[in-house]
Amino acid sequence: MRGRRCGRKSGTGKQVLYSPFLWSDVSAPAASPLSSSPTARRSSAPTTAPSTPFSGIKAAVMFINATAGLAGIWWATINAAKMHVDLTEGRYLLSGASDGSAAVYDIQHTTDYDGGLIAKHKNLFVVDKQHNHGHKFAISTAIWYPIDTGLFITGSFDHHVKVWDTNMIQVVMDFKMPGKVYGTAMSSIATAHMLIATGSADVQVRLCDIASGAFTHTLSGHRDGVMSLEWSTSSEWILMTGGCDGAIRFWDIRRAGCFCVLDQSRSQLGRRPPFSQGTPKRVLEDFIASTVSTGKSSFEKTPVSQKRMPVGNGKKQLTTSRKNQNVSGGPSTQRLHPGMSSSHNRATAHYGAVTGLRATSDGMYLLSSGSDSRLRLWDIESGCNTLVNFEAMRLQTSKAIQLAAFQDSSLVFVPSMASVKAYDMWSGTNLGTFRGHYELVNCCYFNLQDQELYTGSNDRQILVWSPSIPAVTVMEEDDKKGQTLSTDRDNWSD
Amino acid sequence: MAETSRLAGTKRGRGDEEIGADSNSNADSDPRQALGLENNLTFSDTLVALQMMRSQFPSVEKVTIQPFILQSQLYSSVKDRTQVDRDLESLKKEKVLRVFKLSTGQDDHAIMFMEDYLKQMASSVKRFEKEKQHDLEVFEWFKTYVMESKLDVCIAHQELCSLLSHGGEVTDRHVTLLISAGLLTRQLIDPNMYWFAIPNIGSILKGLSQGRKELLSLLNRRKYKEMPLAPLEKKRLRLSPLDMRFHLRDLIGSGHLKSLQTPAGIIVRVAKD
Repeated sequence: MRGRRCGRKSGTGKQVLYSPFLWSDVSAPAASPLSSSPTARRSSAPTTAPSTPFSGIKAAVMFINATAGLAGIWWATINAAKMHVDLTEGRYLLSGASDGSAAVYDIQHTTDYDGGLIAKHKNLFVVDKQHNHGHKFAISTAIWYPIDTGLFITGSFDHHVKVWDTNMIQVVMDFKMPGKVYGTAMSSIATAHMLIATGSADVQVRLCDIASGAFTHTLSGHRDGVMSLEWSTSSEWILMTGGCDGAIRFWDIRRAGCFCVLDQSRSQLGRRPPFSQGTPKRVLEDFIASTVSTGKSSFEKTPVSQKRMPVGNGKKQLTTSRKNQNVSGGPSTQRLHPGMSSSHNRATAHYGAVTGLRATSDGMYLLSSGSDSRLRLWDIESGCNTLVNFEAMRLQTSKAIQLAAFQDSSLVFVPSMASVKAYDMWSGTNLGTFRGHYELVNCCYFNLQDQELYTGSNDRQILVWSPSIPAVTVMEEDDKKGQTLSTDRDNWSD
Repeated sequence: MAETSRLAGTKRGRGDEEIGADSNSNADSDPRQALGLENNLTFSDTLVALQMMRSQFPSVEKVTIQPFILQSQLYSSVKDRTQVDRDLESLKKEKVLRVFKLSTGQDDHAIMFMEDYLKQMASSVKRFEKEKQHDLEVFEWFKTYVMESKLDVCIAHQELCSLLSHGGEVTDRHVTLLISAGLLTRQLIDPNMYWFAIPNIGSILKGLSQGRKELLSLLNRRKYKEMPLAPLEKKRLRLSPLDMRFHLRDLIGSGHLKSLQTPAGIIVRVAKD
């Protein structure tokens, strides 16, 4: 399966602005030329209270469908393909589009209002095909450098991954991939490396190093292109990739080969297997069985490599003796490196391609969406499918989608055709549907600080969804007549 | 949005009695009940739902096939889907039933009780015995060794051979015999993997996919893409040997149709997305 772009609409490109402002200090909003007057972030809701409990989503979604729960719309001449909000401040939204342009928006300052209620944001700058180093084809992925907003990384179908300097709006580094780039990821908890993991139409995952400007190593094991990548949120060395062959592999980048392949038929009932069942037999058995054994020597190797595995897998049993007998004489007898033998493991996590991956913030669970229109929740520690059934949804099958998970309220947001559906993570019930886009929704991003959901779609819009005003506040505001705009009290400067 | 969840729809027609969840043995005795989806389908238990639907399996004239249940039908009749998945998993482990992946559509699974499957297998094997082929002991080996230990929907060639070799010497002819009996199917993407399959089910599957299309087009042609349940159920599908109730449950469970409770009864509507 090769990603095909459907509904490719390129904009007229009339909103290109290379505003020559500089971020002298990213953290001081006063330095930005846009914050000339204190404008409200949202016109119809109080802007205080980051402690607005998002568990009030149940009330919020009903409002969203009825009235404008839309807090803001960004008018753009793009089909938003992927987006990312920077992690340091939660202020700048980077989005990449299918006409090869990437734009950055300031999500805390609106530029004007549409009809007095809906806030609109214009982009701060756009880099598109006319830029002399811009991408030539659609951008499939856009992420911020996790440490600060000085750099951002875009990957595109023109086989290039480019690292941009935000202030200068120039390309500082360019990596050429052997195939169309489907996804990139950088670890947000990394302190010892600054590697960009890139997945492309080629079967190998490549790690690009910003520090040296070269590829450090490649990870092979997938049998088809790699569509989605996600770094582990608990370890800076673990990378999870989902491929077009339907497999999800876990890699420890310090050693060769992947140490785990998720298999959808291995399941556990509930979040954790009961302790009495003993430690689950991991995929070890599979790779031992599939390692064509020449004799006892290759089995002696495996216990040694076991001990070098990362911490979480230390307690897995080796049931070598049973499997040894079962492996009847197969074809050729090649001794494989124990790490590479997992390439024989053909377990699939989905019946189609894996289109999206998202790990929960505590690093214990992984959500994956596939082109078989299923969403699965995996327990990372045991490598099992937790069998949570997310009610029937139809997902786009031809390109990667971006999921969002919010663990504190156990919410999962999934772009499903022209709407975004919110599910409860542990029971799979559909809590609500966000309908506002006119075309296929490609990406959604949940901003924890502001508790807003950004969704981008093929209809060239990025919408912001926020919880609706609690009823109590509405009554209080009735007293103050005529005051529809409330000021953002945090936005002040000397 | 005034839509009942598609899972627990009280699909009750006017004037029909409510059948309790445990009277599945009497379900077909009353001809009116046998027709309708008017039973109360809020089962709390997956196994009860399975047995109920098994008893309601339509009789197909041309092919003798044991009753099977589609997984989407199960989702539409039990409230909590996650619980359904987990119950299915534990029933699979207890070898009460088997799950098969069907070739119609991306995620279609059929559930068959173990005794029904063994009956189906036996009738397909009998056909082979009539032709007096040798190597028929492979079916015995299959039943004893493979069915007991491999509970998944698919199996690798290597593992198949190793399990069958518990019974005797395995040759490629044996595997070919299994495939031609319809017990195994090669996977299209991977030549070394096989799906477990239900023998003699081909015409039914064709009828299933055609019936789905026909039902969806029937509703799509209407002005508002919806129809009340009572007259809809009475229609007969031209292209499918399975009855309307089977298809309705399947499409509601897979999300293509929605059922809504209205003052005039239950209405079935094509789901928009």
